[in-house]
Amino acid sequence: MKRVLSNKWSIMVFVLPTVVFFTYIVIFPIFKTLWYSLLNEIPAKVGDASYFSWLEHYIAMFTPGRRNPFPGAVVNSLLYAALSIFVQLPFSMFIALLLANGAKGESMYRNIFFIPVVISSVVVSLLWGRLYKGLLPQIFESLGWSVPKNGFLGNPQTKIWFSFIPSLWQYVGYHMLLMYGALKSIPEDVIEAATVDGASGAKMAFRIQIPMIKPMLKVCLSFSLIGSFKLFDTPWVLLERSNRDLPALSMYVDMFSNHNYSYASAQAIFIVLECLVFTILLNVVFSDRDERNLRRRKERV
Amino acid sequence: MKKLLAVALAVAMLLGMVSIASADEPVVLKVASIWSAESEANRAPMLKTLEQFKEAHPEIVLEVEWYEANAWKDQGETLALSDSLPDVFYWNAGGVLWNLVSSGDILPLNDYLTEDISSQLIGGALANMTFDGKVYQLPYTNACSCLYCNTELFEKYGVKIPETLDELYAAVEAFKAAGVTPMALGGGDKWPTNMYTDIITLRFVGDAAARACYYKEDGATFKTQDWIDGMAAFKKLIDLGAFPDNAIELTRDESEVPYFNGEIPMYVHGQWFSGSLSAEMQAKVKAVPFPAVGKGYDNMWMGGPAEGFSIAAYTQHPDEAFIACQFLAQHQSDNGFECGAGLPAWKTEVQCGNPVMNQIAAAVANADTILLWGNTALSGDDATLIGDTVYDVLAGTLTPEQWCEDMETIFAK
Repeated sequence: MKRVLSNKWSIMVFVLPTVVFFTYIVIFPIFKTLWYSLLNEIPAKVGDASYFSWLEHYIAMFTPGRRNPFPGAVVNSLLYAALSIFVQLPFSMFIALLLANGAKGESMYRNIFFIPVVISSVVVSLLWGRLYKGLLPQIFESLGWSVPKNGFLGNPQTKIWFSFIPSLWQYVGYHMLLMYGALKSIPEDVIEAATVDGASGAKMAFRIQIPMIKPMLKVCLSFSLIGSFKLFDTPWVLLERSNRDLPALSMYVDMFSNHNYSYASAQAIFIVLECLVFTILLNVVFSDRDERNLRRRKERV
Repeated sequence: MKKLLAVALAVAMLLGMVSIASADEPVVLKVASIWSAESEANRAPMLKTLEQFKEAHPEIVLEVEWYEANAWKDQGETLALSDSLPDVFYWNAGGVLWNLVSSGDILPLNDYLTEDISSQLIGGALANMTFDGKVYQLPYTNACSCLYCNTELFEKYGVKIPETLDELYAAVEAFKAAGVTPMALGGGDKWPTNMYTDIITLRFVGDAAARACYYKEDGATFKTQDWIDGMAAFKKLIDLGAFPDNAIELTRDESEVPYFNGEIPMYVHGQWFSGSLSAEMQAKVKAVPFPAVGKGYDNMWMGGPAEGFSIAAYTQHPDEAFIACQFLAQHQSDNGFECGAGLPAWKTEVQCGNPVMNQIAAAVANADTILLWGNTALSGDDATLIGDTVYDVLAGTLTPEQWCEDMETIFAK
């Protein structure tokens, strides 16, 4: 077995089916989409009238105009990413720390926080829709507070914020569970040694536990960022039909309602690039810190 | 030699059996229908139509997939991209149909449409389904929008059913003063708002000018005072508080619940809505033409045959698909009218048991003109634009003047 696995040709033979399959269903469509995005329109739609328009769609995507929702959609996705990173993840971390440090009813709370993750996003959106359109206005009225004009999901200034809340809420449990698992895998003796040295509470969390689960934090950050740029289902169900408040929504409407296949392809490529760039940035930020820490430790030694 | 003969005979017998078996086997056609919800007025008639088809054509089996209307529109567009539309399917007419016709996804029906079949349709039934002389769909309903008034609420609050726009404003103010939301509207779905704006603007611009714009004819323009006045009239209804405070976030289904419960007195919607009314509500509701403005366009209507059944261009059984397509369209027309879900698009002897539908049928029979709704006549991003812009007017982020400017951009493409 060892001999087989050390043979490069054997490895290639074993890996080949996966590589071919992955190339066919992931790599090839990305390049095909890129090609479509550089055409005026896809040949299947306009036949011989298809020609290379190069970056025309990419320029149009970011040309300001009252009827061009894409720049606003990108800003909204960045806002959602910021909310995920600065609100959702810290909250998940807080719950994970509470549970991992032996809170009463640990197992029960862990399951309760995870329940929204297993519910379909569409169901979650419908439930929140009922809340926004029915229960919440009633509560506001009974407390004498004013409901936003046109309702929570109709006010152009606030609707996108309210549409973010269900997804943020839904995936708190997901990140909490990842962080909780990582926290639980910290060796007992490290915690004991830190306790003997006088660490407890916030000090234990910020000096020992959080630094030790950094690889998992990186995973959570990556998931959060990429999820933010691809967010589709919740705002699609909650907000008005054919809304284009996020890049994925805009791409969908241009593709399937407006039949601008090439323009939608350009938006798809932008989303892929956006995810790629931010993932690389995240890797750079984390790896730089690792290297810096290593250098410092070496200097101390 | 004997062996060879025996083998040849065996093969011949086997082939014979296969051919007998395949001759007896029914042709299976995939059908896509909307009306997945039990509450849909057209669902029961469609189920009846399918039963009738089963009896009349045992040689053809229909495998029906049910969808919600908007979901099917998205799904249909997606299936068309991969040439996998079902053999026979529900689809809108006008620009929505043109989307699939232009991409070669729909079979022209001219070779199958005999004089005998065409003569059974009402006059002009195929106008919205014909492009360059080719017919791509058979309608199952004739449509129109009208004003549904709950007479019980009108009597209770002493309000006159409006016949003019000024009377409509007065009715809205009277109901508002009594603490009653005057008109239902599900703005979140966008197209229900188009129902209001289309008919109001039609009263100001007339059929010819509106038709020219919706069909993008040479010289057509939205930048006229009539279009501005039409949208301003709609804006005035918003400002008077005609619609629920959160109308913009409601779906059509959500918005109709208070009307069904007898809490809202007025609603502008398509004729199919009358089929969704309970027997108790049918007795209370009166369907009337949208109020007059006095510019000479008061007997013009929005609607016409706007929905039907089409056949995928790549069906393996075009002959059987046409039989199914015609049967579904014609019988759904009868069955839908019989139970009050829609006006017939085919000549019929059937009587409708829904008094509200009969009122609509009587009123629309004398219409000067019927014009297809803007969001159905327009296609692609133009159709999206007319939905987005009326949504923005409802949200208060677009003025009537800006609406005209934005709509004018459709002519620049």
